[in-house]
Amino acid sequence: MKVGACGTFVCALASVVLTAALAACGTPRRDEPLVGPFTTADGRLQRGRVSFDRYCYKCHGEGEGALGPGMNHLPLPRAMMRMQVRVGLGAMPSFKPDELSDAELDEILDYLVALRRHGR
Amino acid sequence: MTNSGRRPLAKPLAAAVLGACLAGCYTTRPADGGGQTSFAGERVVRAADIAVPAGYRIEPIARGLTFPTGVAFDAAGVPHVVESGYSYGEVWTVPRLLRIERDGSTREIARGDRNGPWTGVAFANGSFYVAEGGELEGGRILRIQPDGRVSAIVSGLPSVGDHHTNGPAIGPDGKIYFGQGTATNSGVVGEDNAQFGWLKRQPDFHDIPCQDITLTGQNFESADPIRPAGGRATTGAFSAFGTPTRAGQVISGRVPCNGAIMRVAPEGGTVELVAWGLRNPFGLAFAADGQLYVTENAFDDRGSRPVWGAGDVLWRITPGSWYGWPDHAEGQSVTKSDFKPPGKPQPLALLARPPGTPPRPAAILGVHASANGVDFSRSAAFGHVGRAFIAEFGDQSPTVGKVLHPVGFRVVTVDTGNGRIEDFAVNRGERNGPASKIGGGGLERPLGLRFSPDGQSLYLVDFGVLLMSEKGPAPQQRTGVLWRVAREGRP
Repeated sequence: MKVGACGTFVCALASVVLTAALAACGTPRRDEPLVGPFTTADGRLQRGRVSFDRYCYKCHGEGEGALGPGMNHLPLPRAMMRMQVRVGLGAMPSFKPDELSDAELDEILDYLVALRRHGR
Repeated sequence: MTNSGRRPLAKPLAAAVLGACLAGCYTTRPADGGGQTSFAGERVVRAADIAVPAGYRIEPIARGLTFPTGVAFDAAGVPHVVESGYSYGEVWTVPRLLRIERDGSTREIARGDRNGPWTGVAFANGSFYVAEGGELEGGRILRIQPDGRVSAIVSGLPSVGDHHTNGPAIGPDGKIYFGQGTATNSGVVGEDNAQFGWLKRQPDFHDIPCQDITLTGQNFESADPIRPAGGRATTGAFSAFGTPTRAGQVISGRVPCNGAIMRVAPEGGTVELVAWGLRNPFGLAFAADGQLYVTENAFDDRGSRPVWGAGDVLWRITPGSWYGWPDHAEGQSVTKSDFKPPGKPQPLALLARPPGTPPRPAAILGVHASANGVDFSRSAAFGHVGRAFIAEFGDQSPTVGKVLHPVGFRVVTVDTGNGRIEDFAVNRGERNGPASKIGGGGLERPLGLRFSPDGQSLYLVDFGVLLMSEKGPAPQQRTGVLWRVAREGRP
């Protein structure tokens, strides 16, 4: 069962680490009016951005959190984000390759990494 | 070095714990919606607390409004605002059409009775057209002449439930287009509708399909809030509370109906169906090419048939099409595990034979963002020509479901060609949310918006403070604001 996979202890520990990470990494907000437009001539990033808005935006906003957690301020490795997307741990649903191709996922991750640095 | 020797271990450990948190803590973390705060006294209004893109400025035009919902301009280009007269939370005031004077004062042009909410306004042919939500007597489309005379060109719309009569917008054909929301969250009347307030007033009310539909016969058991305490009730789809259905049962469709876009001639007459299968089609706008776009407030995680994780949608409307409600969200079947609420049953189909195949959305916005008013920029003097501007009222968590962070409370733009979403007006600060939660004097709940006739200014209707708790909504009167956005250096 996906839901409740994290026990209270793990959550408490995670909260401590998360708080430290939040303090270390600042706000997750990358809104254009706040930090300027995210502009790029890189086709991969442009495609990743479009795919992100199609698949991810509804729950994560532009990486700042919404229904689900924010990501822009967390030092999440690509491998972890890839696993989260493919396996769908917790409340987050999984995205299988027939729904989100490996190429699309790679471009989304490229975009997320670039977005994390944007405006910093 | 000792420290460098530790880092390779610390980083993966931190990442693993962070990953565990992201993976599993949604269910254990409390809801943190934008309305989950407190408010007292007068609203602070301070444009400097709102960020807009470089080269733009935002300013308050009028304040102290009570539940404002829409804005339109008369033949002289003077802005007029409608105040709703009703808000979730069962608060009743007087619906009004107000002229906004240059000094920010208001002059009442017309008023309605206890049949709000007035959800929006448009101007054409020398008259204002208002969508009257009709919480007590059913929805109507009103025509208001500049001297204040009010007449109904449509009445008796099925609008006494969760969602109301919305819009209107003037089509390229000169007709008045309007939306009619659904009675329920997902097709089944339940306890949540008693919490909204209407079920005890209208115990026989339910959703009306626009065409005949055949049911799968799913029934839902719930507590019975109408009859003596302790009772249980079994309710089927598109049926009154406590009325079960059977597999293969046909529910007769008719127009006017729920979850639909309809239209009528400016002088009234027969109501025509444009499109249906839309849960709460709130905002309607025609792009420069005449294409109709509609914002849809998607499913909530509430009631007898909760649906989780459904993003609000901007739809490109093709006349005659069905957009999926109550069995699809964002064009996808709600029977996908993606839409299963944590700890609750997987939604199953209510319709044995879908009336069509829903198209792909023009854009998928935030879950519970409450994407509402929409308009298109048409002026190079303002910029962003061709992009849709959408006002996001913001989440009503926890009533609609849990969110980990406030959602909405901003204005976004959408590229309808590829679905890209950009923020346009947001509150400043370390986190997103209404000013009443994050501090400052910025936006509360953007609800309606419209470009001025010359296209050089964007007028934004801010409903004001709406607090949320497990007890439901608590709207605050006289906290509404009309904002204006324009390019720097322009009047």
